Amino acid sequence: MDPRAILDHQFTAAAYIITWAIQLGYLAWLALKWRAQKREASRSTRNSR
Amino acid sequence: MKKAAIGLYATITVALMIWGFYQAIYVAPEEQTMHEVQRIFYYHVPSAMVAFLFFAISLAGSIGFLAFRRNRPAYAQISDAWALAGAEVGVVFCTVVLITGPIWGRRAWGIWWTWDARLTTTLVLWLIYVSYLLLRRFAAGPQMQTLAAVLGIFGALDVPIVYMSNRWWRTQHPAPVFGGGPDSGIKDPAMLAAFGWNVLAWLAWGVLILALRYHVERQHQKFAAQEAQDALDA
Repeated sequence: MDPRAILDHQFTAAAYIITWAIQLGYLAWLALKWRAQKREASRSTRNSR
Repeated sequence: MKKAAIGLYATITVALMIWGFYQAIYVAPEEQTMHEVQRIFYYHVPSAMVAFLFFAISLAGSIGFLAFRRNRPAYAQISDAWALAGAEVGVVFCTVVLITGPIWGRRAWGIWWTWDARLTTTLVLWLIYVSYLLLRRFAAGPQMQTLAAVLGIFGALDVPIVYMSNRWWRTQHPAPVFGGGPDSGIKDPAMLAAFGWNVLAWLAWGVLILALRYHVERQHQKFAAQEAQDALDA
């Protein structure tokens, strides 16, 4: 296979993988933040009772 | 009912993402001069479009906050949550643009980066909104939201400059795909379809995470208000 075509393929794959890593990483961070916030809220409600 | 609607929307979004990926990689033909690396375009351009849209939402939220902060505090908080969600998700998409662009540029131009108008204004846009998020994260006190709203409005002023940069100045960045004169536009219908599906897919994905970010921020606001009330009552 042409080495230029291999490099093209690697660069394209890298761009797609990085895009997904950023998007899914952000989604995971958001989900963790949401869960931590929920826990904090329920702890605060229990303490105020 | 609400949970079912969210689940359905998320399912449609995932299906669109898979379909968009399939279109970009397997259906769209290879471009004659740039070959396979041109397929980065199907993620790069839709990400830029969604980033611009979300910065516009942040602008609307910032204006709303400044307009409502004195007479309608509840509306002001809702506007502020939209401003933050738009800026944060916009930064995520803008980060994708600033990473996929140089990956393409390394193969197409032989360099990772050049200080041309389109690239530089996009980097400035990203830096302004990162500053906005840092301000929100580390500043405290009643003026924080107002300062953030003003910064959000200034940041949004860079969006039309980024959009027009390769029309106003001679740049190394490729010519505008749409609205760039009679020769602009995607001529191949399969390429146009792949591009359209990816715009739709990334927009659907962006709206999903924007709504989630807004919801998290609203919860945070309600929790903070409740804590303040409890402290007053104690």
